[in-house]
Amino acid sequence: MNARAQMTLDRRALGRALSRAANASVEEILAADAGEAATRARRIGVTGPPGAGKSTLIAALARYRLEHAGRVAIIAVDPSSSKTHGSVLGDRIRMDRLVDDPRVYIRSLASRGASDGLAENLPEILAVLDDFGFDEIILETVGVGQSEFAVRDLVDIELLVMAPGAGDQIQAMKAGIIETADIYVVNKADQPGAARAETELRAILTMTAGSAPVPPIIRVQADTGEKMDELDAAIEDCVRRRKEGDADAVRRGRHRVKGLIVRRLNEVLLDMPVALEGRPIREVYDAVMDTLSQRTGP
Amino acid sequence: MMIETATEPRAASPLRGKRILVAKPGLDGHDAGAKVVALAMRDAGAEVIYTGLRKSPAYIARVAIDEDVDAVGLSILSGSHKELVAETIAALKEEDAGDIALFVGGTIPAEDIDALIEMGVRTVFTADMKLDDVVDAVAKALA
Repeated sequence: MNARAQMTLDRRALGRALSRAANASVEEILAADAGEAATRARRIGVTGPPGAGKSTLIAALARYRLEHAGRVAIIAVDPSSSKTHGSVLGDRIRMDRLVDDPRVYIRSLASRGASDGLAENLPEILAVLDDFGFDEIILETVGVGQSEFAVRDLVDIELLVMAPGAGDQIQAMKAGIIETADIYVVNKADQPGAARAETELRAILTMTAGSAPVPPIIRVQADTGEKMDELDAAIEDCVRRRKEGDADAVRRGRHRVKGLIVRRLNEVLLDMPVALEGRPIREVYDAVMDTLSQRTGP
Repeated sequence: MMIETATEPRAASPLRGKRILVAKPGLDGHDAGAKVVALAMRDAGAEVIYTGLRKSPAYIARVAIDEDVDAVGLSILSGSHKELVAETIAALKEEDAGDIALFVGGTIPAEDIDALIEMGVRTVFTADMKLDDVVDAVAKALA
Protein backbone atom coordinates (compact mmCIF):
# COMPACT_ATOMS: atom_id res chain seq x y z
CA MET A 1 0.00 0.00 0.00
CA ASN A 2 1.31 3.35 -0.94
CA ALA A 3 1.80 5.56 2.10
CA ARG A 4 0.96 8.62 0.07
CA ALA A 5 -2.56 7.36 -0.56
CA GLN A 6 -3.29 7.87 3.12
CA MET A 7 -2.00 11.42 3.21
CA THR A 8 -3.65 14.64 2.16
CA LEU A 9 -2.87 15.24 -1.48
CA ASP A 10 -0.23 17.93 -1.92
CA ARG A 11 -1.62 19.38 -5.13
CA ARG A 12 1.14 21.90 -5.55
CA ALA A 13 3.84 19.23 -5.31
CA LEU A 14 1.90 16.93 -7.64
CA GLY A 15 1.35 19.73 -10.16
CA ARG A 16 5.07 20.42 -10.25
CA ALA A 17 6.05 16.76 -10.40
CA LEU A 18 3.75 16.29 -13.40
CA SER A 19 5.35 19.27 -15.15
CA ARG A 20 8.80 17.83 -14.54
CA ALA A 21 7.70 14.50 -15.98
CA ALA A 22 6.08 16.16 -19.00
CA ASN A 23 9.14 18.30 -19.69
CA ALA A 24 11.80 15.65 -19.12
CA SER A 25 14.12 15.11 -22.06
CA VAL A 26 14.68 11.67 -23.51
CA GLU A 27 18.09 11.60 -21.87
CA GLU A 28 16.69 12.57 -18.46
CA ILE A 29 14.14 9.78 -18.65
CA LEU A 30 16.77 7.24 -19.64
CA ALA A 31 19.05 8.36 -16.83
CA ALA A 32 16.37 8.35 -14.13
CA ASP A 33 14.68 5.05 -14.86
CA ALA A 34 15.64 2.00 -12.83
CA GLY A 35 13.34 -0.48 -14.50
CA GLU A 36 9.65 -0.80 -15.02
CA ALA A 37 7.77 -0.48 -11.75
CA ALA A 38 4.43 -2.18 -11.29
CA THR A 39 1.55 0.17 -11.91
CA ARG A 40 -0.68 0.96 -8.98
CA ALA A 41 -3.71 2.87 -10.20
CA ARG A 42 -6.35 1.25 -12.35
CA ARG A 43 -6.28 2.95 -15.74
CA ILE A 44 -9.37 3.60 -17.80
CA GLY A 45 -8.86 5.00 -21.30
CA VAL A 46 -11.63 6.97 -22.97
CA THR A 47 -11.32 7.38 -26.70
CA GLY A 48 -13.59 8.20 -29.62
CA PRO A 49 -14.01 10.86 -32.28
CA PRO A 50 -14.12 14.60 -31.52
CA GLY A 51 -17.58 15.70 -30.51
CA ALA A 52 -18.60 12.32 -29.12
CA GLY A 53 -18.78 13.85 -25.67
CA LYS A 54 -15.75 12.24 -24.05
CA SER A 55 -15.10 15.02 -21.53
CA THR A 56 -18.73 15.27 -20.46
CA LEU A 57 -18.85 11.51 -20.10
CA ILE A 58 -15.74 11.48 -17.93
CA ALA A 59 -17.18 14.22 -15.72
CA ALA A 60 -20.29 12.11 -15.14
CA LEU A 61 -18.33 8.88 -14.79
CA ALA A 62 -15.88 10.22 -12.19
CA ARG A 63 -18.73 10.60 -9.69
CA TYR A 64 -19.44 6.88 -9.93
CA ARG A 65 -15.82 5.84 -9.95
CA LEU A 66 -15.26 7.66 -6.65
CA GLU A 67 -17.47 4.99 -5.09
CA HIS A 68 -14.77 2.45 -5.95
CA ALA A 69 -11.64 4.57 -5.68
CA GLY A 70 -10.52 6.96 -2.96
CA ARG A 71 -8.70 9.27 -5.31
CA VAL A 72 -9.26 9.70 -9.05
CA ALA A 73 -7.03 11.51 -11.54
CA ILE A 74 -8.24 12.63 -14.94
CA ILE A 75 -5.70 13.23 -17.70
CA ALA A 76 -7.11 14.97 -20.76
CA VAL A 77 -5.01 15.28 -23.90
CA ASP A 78 -5.57 17.96 -26.53
CA PRO A 79 -3.63 18.38 -29.77
CA SER A 80 -0.66 20.72 -30.15
CA SER A 81 -0.14 22.75 -33.29
CA SER A 82 2.77 21.28 -35.20
CA LYS A 83 3.57 24.76 -36.46
CA THR A 84 3.52 26.95 -33.35
CA HIS A 85 3.53 24.17 -30.72
CA GLY A 86 0.66 26.04 -29.08
CA SER A 87 -2.50 24.42 -27.80
CA VAL A 88 -5.83 25.25 -26.22
CA LEU A 89 -6.56 22.72 -23.52
CA GLY A 90 -10.33 22.86 -23.43
CA ASP A 91 -11.49 19.51 -22.06
CA ARG A 92 -11.60 20.43 -18.41
CA ILE A 93 -14.17 23.15 -18.99
CA ARG A 94 -16.71 20.31 -19.31
CA MET A 95 -15.54 18.82 -16.04
CA ASP A 96 -16.22 22.00 -14.11
CA ARG A 97 -18.33 20.50 -11.39
CA LEU A 98 -15.54 18.17 -10.30
CA VAL A 99 -13.19 20.98 -9.36
CA ASP A 100 -14.64 21.39 -5.86
CA ASP A 101 -14.09 17.73 -5.05
CA PRO A 102 -10.75 17.26 -3.25
CA ARG A 103 -10.64 13.58 -4.27
CA VAL A 104 -10.42 14.50 -7.96
CA TYR A 105 -7.38 15.87 -9.76
CA ILE A 106 -7.68 17.02 -13.37
CA ARG A 107 -4.65 17.68 -15.52
CA SER A 108 -4.69 18.86 -19.15
CA LEU A 109 -1.88 17.78 -21.44
CA ALA A 110 -0.87 19.00 -24.86
CA SER A 111 0.07 16.17 -27.21
CA ARG A 112 3.29 18.00 -28.16
CA GLY A 113 5.29 15.80 -30.55
CA ALA A 114 3.18 12.68 -30.07
CA SER A 115 1.12 11.83 -33.13
CA ASP A 116 -0.65 8.78 -31.69
CA GLY A 117 -3.49 10.68 -30.01
CA LEU A 118 -1.69 10.65 -26.68
CA ALA A 119 0.98 12.94 -25.24
CA GLU A 120 4.76 12.88 -25.02
CA ASN A 121 6.10 11.30 -21.83
CA LEU A 122 2.68 9.91 -20.93
CA PRO A 123 4.10 6.74 -19.31
CA GLU A 124 6.25 8.93 -17.06
CA ILE A 125 3.29 11.18 -16.26
CA LEU A 126 1.12 8.21 -15.29
CA ALA A 127 3.93 6.89 -13.07
CA VAL A 128 3.87 10.16 -11.11
CA LEU A 129 0.17 9.67 -10.41
CA ASP A 130 0.91 6.15 -9.14
CA ASP A 131 3.54 7.63 -6.91
CA PHE A 132 1.07 10.12 -5.44
CA GLY A 133 -1.30 7.38 -4.41
CA PHE A 134 -4.11 7.60 -6.96
CA ASP A 135 -6.41 4.59 -7.13
CA GLU A 136 -7.75 5.24 -10.58
CA ILE A 137 -6.72 7.26 -13.61
CA ILE A 138 -9.13 8.19 -16.38
CA LEU A 139 -7.28 9.05 -19.56
CA GLU A 140 -8.97 11.02 -22.35
CA THR A 141 -7.30 10.81 -25.74
CA VAL A 142 -7.27 13.43 -28.48
CA GLY A 143 -9.79 11.32 -30.35
CA VAL A 144 -8.25 11.42 -33.80
CA GLY A 145 -5.65 9.39 -35.56
CA GLN A 146 -4.69 6.09 -34.07
CA SER A 147 -5.37 6.90 -30.45
CA GLU A 148 -7.52 3.81 -30.01
CA PHE A 149 -4.52 1.61 -30.64
CA ALA A 150 -2.01 3.62 -28.64
CA VAL A 151 -4.17 3.98 -25.56
CA ARG A 152 -4.71 0.23 -25.49
CA ASP A 153 -1.05 -0.17 -24.59
CA LEU A 154 -1.32 1.98 -21.50
CA VAL A 155 -4.72 1.30 -19.95
CA ASP A 156 -6.43 -1.62 -18.25
CA ILE A 157 -9.89 -0.86 -19.58
CA GLU A 158 -10.69 0.99 -22.78
CA LEU A 159 -13.97 2.77 -23.50
CA LEU A 160 -14.84 3.81 -27.02
CA VAL A 161 -17.39 6.63 -27.09
CA MET A 162 -19.50 7.57 -30.09
CA ALA A 163 -22.39 9.92 -30.75
CA PRO A 164 -25.44 9.28 -32.96
CA GLY A 165 -25.08 10.24 -36.58
CA ALA A 166 -21.69 8.65 -36.49
CA GLY A 167 -22.40 6.28 -39.37
CA ASP A 168 -19.34 7.51 -41.21
CA GLN A 169 -17.25 7.13 -38.11
CA ILE A 170 -18.35 3.55 -37.76
CA GLN A 171 -17.46 2.93 -41.39
CA ALA A 172 -14.04 4.41 -40.82
CA MET A 173 -13.60 2.33 -37.72
CA LYS A 174 -14.51 -0.95 -39.27
CA ALA A 175 -10.96 -1.65 -40.24
CA GLY A 176 -9.85 -2.93 -36.92
CA ILE A 177 -9.80 0.14 -34.75
CA ILE A 178 -13.11 -0.75 -33.28
CA GLU A 179 -11.93 -4.12 -32.04
CA THR A 180 -9.67 -2.84 -29.31
CA ALA A 181 -12.16 -1.47 -26.76
CA ASP A 182 -13.59 -3.34 -23.77
CA ILE A 183 -16.79 -1.30 -23.57
CA TYR A 184 -18.59 0.67 -26.28
CA VAL A 185 -20.61 3.74 -25.40
CA VAL A 186 -23.21 5.46 -27.56
CA ASN A 187 -23.51 8.90 -25.96
CA LYS A 188 -26.24 11.52 -26.48
CA ALA A 189 -28.97 8.90 -26.24
CA ASP A 190 -31.62 11.63 -26.55
CA GLN A 191 -30.58 12.51 -30.08
CA PRO A 192 -32.24 10.99 -33.12
CA GLY A 193 -30.33 8.07 -34.47
CA ALA A 194 -29.02 6.83 -31.12
CA ALA A 195 -30.84 3.51 -31.39
CA ARG A 196 -29.67 3.08 -34.95
CA ALA A 197 -26.06 3.84 -34.03
CA GLU A 198 -26.26 1.18 -31.36
CA THR A 199 -27.72 -1.35 -33.81
CA GLU A 200 -25.02 -0.67 -36.40
CA LEU A 201 -22.33 -0.91 -33.79
CA ARG A 202 -23.73 -4.18 -32.50
CA ALA A 203 -23.79 -5.61 -36.02
CA ILE A 204 -20.15 -4.78 -36.61
CA LEU A 205 -19.01 -6.01 -33.21
CA THR A 206 -20.95 -9.23 -33.58
CA MET A 207 -19.27 -9.80 -36.91
CA THR A 208 -15.77 -9.12 -35.56
CA ALA A 209 -16.32 -11.07 -32.35
CA GLY A 210 -16.96 -14.33 -34.19
CA SER A 211 -17.54 -16.97 -31.57
CA ALA A 212 -16.28 -14.73 -28.74
CA PRO A 213 -18.79 -12.78 -26.64
CA VAL A 214 -19.80 -9.39 -28.00
CA PRO A 215 -18.45 -6.64 -25.71
CA PRO A 216 -20.99 -4.48 -23.85
CA ILE A 217 -22.59 -1.60 -25.74
CA ILE A 218 -24.22 0.99 -23.51
CA ARG A 219 -26.40 3.87 -24.60
CA VAL A 220 -26.00 6.79 -22.19
CA GLN A 221 -26.78 10.46 -21.88
CA ALA A 222 -23.75 11.80 -20.08
CA ASP A 223 -25.04 15.34 -19.53
CA THR A 224 -28.10 14.15 -17.57
CA GLY A 225 -26.38 11.10 -16.10
CA GLU A 226 -28.84 8.68 -17.65
CA LYS A 227 -27.58 5.08 -17.78
CA MET A 228 -24.26 6.12 -16.30
CA ASP A 229 -24.88 3.59 -13.53
CA GLU A 230 -24.99 0.88 -16.19
CA LEU A 231 -21.71 2.04 -17.65
CA ASP A 232 -20.15 2.05 -14.20
CA ALA A 233 -21.42 -1.49 -13.60
CA ALA A 234 -19.97 -2.63 -16.92
CA ILE A 235 -16.61 -1.19 -15.91
CA GLU A 236 -16.76 -2.98 -12.56
CA ASP A 237 -17.58 -6.18 -14.37
CA CYS A 238 -14.52 -5.67 -16.58
CA VAL A 239 -12.38 -5.03 -13.51
CA ARG A 240 -13.51 -8.29 -11.95
CA ARG A 241 -12.92 -10.36 -15.06
CA ARG A 242 -9.64 -8.77 -15.94
CA LYS A 243 -6.40 -10.43 -14.96
CA GLU A 244 -3.11 -8.61 -15.13
CA GLY A 245 -0.84 -10.62 -17.41
CA ASP A 246 2.71 -10.49 -18.66
CA ALA A 247 1.38 -9.24 -21.97
CA ASP A 248 0.29 -5.98 -20.29
CA ALA A 249 3.78 -5.24 -19.04
CA VAL A 250 5.23 -6.11 -22.45
CA ARG A 251 2.83 -3.74 -24.22
CA ARG A 252 3.54 -0.96 -21.75
CA GLY A 253 7.27 -1.45 -22.14
CA ARG A 254 7.08 -1.39 -25.93
CA HIS A 255 4.89 1.69 -25.91
CA ARG A 256 7.34 3.47 -23.65
CA VAL A 257 10.46 2.78 -25.67
CA LYS A 258 8.63 3.59 -28.90
CA GLY A 259 7.57 6.95 -27.47
CA LEU A 260 11.16 7.82 -26.59
CA ILE A 261 12.48 6.77 -29.98
CA VAL A 262 9.78 8.75 -31.82
CA ARG A 263 10.70 11.81 -29.78
CA ARG A 264 14.37 11.39 -30.56
CA LEU A 265 13.58 10.81 -34.22
CA ASN A 266 11.53 14.00 -34.36
CA GLU A 267 14.47 15.92 -32.91
CA VAL A 268 16.84 14.44 -35.46
CA LEU A 269 14.48 15.19 -38.36
CA LEU A 270 13.96 18.75 -37.16
CA ASP A 271 17.71 19.28 -37.15
CA MET A 272 18.20 17.68 -40.55
CA PRO A 273 20.43 19.92 -42.65
CA VAL A 274 19.29 21.45 -45.89
CA ALA A 275 22.34 19.77 -47.50
CA LEU A 276 20.48 16.46 -47.41
CA GLU A 277 17.53 17.79 -49.41
CA GLY A 278 17.27 16.23 -52.82
CA ARG A 279 19.78 13.51 -51.93
CA PRO A 280 18.85 9.89 -52.68
CA ILE A 281 16.49 8.55 -50.04
CA ARG A 282 18.94 5.77 -49.09
CA GLU A 283 21.55 8.37 -48.17
CA VAL A 284 19.08 10.41 -46.11
CA TYR A 285 17.82 7.27 -44.38
CA ASP A 286 21.31 6.12 -43.50
CA ALA A 287 22.23 9.56 -42.18
CA VAL A 288 19.17 9.62 -39.93
CA MET A 289 19.83 6.09 -38.69
CA ASP A 290 23.48 6.94 -38.00
CA THR A 291 22.47 9.94 -35.97
CA LEU A 292 19.83 7.99 -34.07
CA SER A 293 22.29 5.30 -33.11
CA GLN A 294 24.57 7.82 -31.41
CA ARG A 295 24.04 8.21 -27.69
CA THR A 296 22.58 11.57 -26.77
CA GLY A 297 23.55 13.80 -23.89
CA PRO A 298 26.46 13.30 -21.52
CA MET B 1 27.48 10.38 -42.00
CA MET B 2 26.20 12.23 -38.94
CA ILE B 3 23.65 14.99 -39.17
CA GLU B 4 24.94 18.40 -38.18
CA THR B 5 22.54 20.76 -36.47
CA ALA B 6 20.75 23.10 -38.85
CA THR B 7 21.67 26.73 -38.50
CA GLU B 8 18.43 28.22 -39.79
CA PRO B 9 16.21 29.82 -37.18
CA ARG B 10 12.94 28.07 -36.39
CA ALA B 11 9.54 29.70 -36.34
CA ALA B 12 9.24 32.20 -33.51
CA SER B 13 7.14 30.85 -30.67
CA PRO B 14 7.99 33.15 -27.77
CA LEU B 15 5.68 31.34 -25.36
CA ARG B 16 6.63 27.80 -26.35
CA GLY B 17 6.49 25.42 -23.41
CA LYS B 18 4.67 27.91 -21.18
CA ARG B 19 1.36 26.98 -19.58
CA ILE B 20 -1.08 29.84 -19.16
CA LEU B 21 -4.49 29.96 -17.51
CA VAL B 22 -6.91 32.54 -18.94
CA ALA B 23 -9.64 33.06 -16.37
CA LYS B 24 -12.86 35.02 -16.02
CA PRO B 25 -13.58 35.84 -12.37
CA GLY B 26 -16.66 37.68 -11.23
CA LEU B 27 -20.03 38.24 -12.77
CA ASP B 28 -19.50 39.89 -16.13
CA GLY B 29 -20.63 37.67 -18.98
CA HIS B 30 -18.40 38.74 -21.84
CA ASP B 31 -15.43 36.65 -22.83
CA ALA B 32 -14.70 37.69 -26.40
CA GLY B 33 -11.60 39.54 -25.21
CA ALA B 34 -10.41 36.65 -23.05
CA LYS B 35 -10.79 34.25 -25.96
CA VAL B 36 -8.91 36.50 -28.37
CA VAL B 37 -6.04 36.74 -25.90
CA ALA B 38 -6.13 32.97 -25.31
CA LEU B 39 -5.82 32.30 -29.04
CA ALA B 40 -3.00 34.83 -29.39
CA MET B 41 -1.10 33.04 -26.61
CA ARG B 42 -1.72 29.72 -28.31
CA ASP B 43 -0.40 31.07 -31.59
CA ALA B 44 2.70 32.24 -29.73
CA GLY B 45 3.30 28.62 -28.70
CA ALA B 46 1.71 28.51 -25.24
CA GLU B 47 -0.44 25.73 -23.84
CA VAL B 48 -3.53 27.68 -22.84
CA ILE B 49 -6.28 26.65 -20.46
CA TYR B 50 -9.46 28.71 -20.40
CA THR B 51 -11.82 28.52 -17.43
CA GLY B 52 -15.07 29.73 -18.93
CA LEU B 53 -17.23 32.46 -17.42
CA ARG B 54 -17.98 33.45 -13.82
CA LYS B 55 -15.41 31.56 -11.84
CA SER B 56 -14.57 32.24 -8.21
CA PRO B 57 -11.01 33.19 -7.21
CA ALA B 58 -10.82 29.91 -5.24
CA TYR B 59 -11.74 27.94 -8.38
CA ILE B 60 -9.16 29.82 -10.45
CA ALA B 61 -6.44 29.17 -7.87
CA ARG B 62 -7.32 25.47 -7.74
CA VAL B 63 -7.06 25.12 -11.53
CA ALA B 64 -3.83 27.16 -11.64
CA ILE B 65 -2.24 24.86 -9.07
CA ASP B 66 -3.48 21.55 -10.48
CA GLU B 67 -2.41 22.55 -13.97
CA ASP B 68 0.88 24.00 -12.67
CA VAL B 69 0.63 27.03 -14.92
CA ASP B 70 3.39 29.60 -15.33
CA ALA B 71 0.93 32.48 -15.44
CA VAL B 72 -2.68 33.38 -14.79
CA GLY B 73 -4.39 36.05 -16.89
CA LEU B 74 -7.56 37.48 -15.35
CA SER B 75 -10.04 39.14 -17.69
CA ILE B 76 -12.29 41.50 -15.75
CA LEU B 77 -14.88 43.86 -17.20
CA SER B 78 -17.17 44.21 -14.21
CA GLY B 79 -15.36 46.97 -12.35
CA SER B 80 -14.64 44.86 -9.30
CA HIS B 81 -11.06 44.19 -10.37
CA LYS B 82 -9.48 45.27 -7.08
CA GLU B 83 -11.53 42.85 -5.00
CA LEU B 84 -11.18 39.96 -7.47
CA VAL B 85 -7.43 40.42 -7.85
CA ALA B 86 -6.94 40.59 -4.08
CA GLU B 87 -8.98 37.42 -3.57
CA THR B 88 -7.16 35.55 -6.35
CA ILE B 89 -3.76 36.49 -4.96
CA ALA B 90 -4.85 35.42 -1.46
CA ALA B 91 -6.15 32.08 -2.77
CA LEU B 92 -2.89 31.40 -4.64
CA LYS B 93 -0.76 32.32 -1.62
CA GLU B 94 -2.83 30.10 0.63
CA GLU B 95 -1.79 27.12 -1.48
CA ASP B 96 1.87 28.05 -1.69
CA ALA B 97 1.50 29.35 -5.25
CA GLY B 98 2.18 33.05 -4.79
CA ASP B 99 4.99 32.76 -7.33
CA ILE B 100 2.64 32.16 -10.28
CA ALA B 101 2.74 35.31 -12.41
CA LEU B 102 -0.54 37.23 -12.50
CA PHE B 103 -1.70 39.42 -15.38
CA VAL B 104 -4.90 41.42 -15.59
CA GLY B 105 -6.77 42.64 -18.64
CA GLY B 106 -10.12 44.23 -19.37
CA THR B 107 -11.75 47.53 -18.55
CA ILE B 108 -9.37 48.83 -15.92
CA PRO B 109 -9.38 52.61 -15.31
CA ALA B 110 -5.91 54.14 -15.66
CA GLU B 111 -5.98 55.35 -12.07
CA ASP B 112 -6.35 51.80 -10.75
CA ILE B 113 -3.37 50.31 -12.56
CA ASP B 114 -0.76 51.33 -10.01
CA ALA B 115 -2.83 49.86 -7.19
CA LEU B 116 -3.06 46.50 -9.02
CA ILE B 117 0.69 46.46 -9.68
CA GLU B 118 1.21 47.28 -6.00
CA MET B 119 -0.87 44.22 -5.10
CA GLY B 120 1.43 41.97 -7.14
CA VAL B 121 0.04 42.00 -10.68
CA ARG B 122 2.88 41.85 -13.23
CA THR B 123 1.24 43.85 -16.01
CA VAL B 124 -2.20 45.33 -16.65
CA PHE B 125 -3.41 45.10 -20.25
CA THR B 126 -5.99 47.52 -21.54
CA ALA B 127 -8.29 47.06 -24.53
CA ASP B 128 -6.31 49.47 -26.72
CA MET B 129 -3.12 47.40 -26.54
CA LYS B 130 -1.96 45.40 -29.54
CA LEU B 131 -2.08 41.62 -29.14
CA ASP B 132 1.57 41.32 -30.12
CA ASP B 133 2.49 43.68 -27.29
CA VAL B 134 0.46 41.60 -24.83
CA VAL B 135 2.23 38.42 -25.96
CA ASP B 136 5.63 40.15 -25.79
CA ALA B 137 5.01 41.43 -22.28
CA VAL B 138 3.96 37.99 -21.04
CA ALA B 139 6.92 36.32 -22.77
CA LYS B 140 9.30 38.84 -21.23
CA ALA B 141 7.85 38.39 -17.74
CA LEU B 142 8.10 34.58 -17.98
CA ALA B 143 11.54 34.44 -19.58
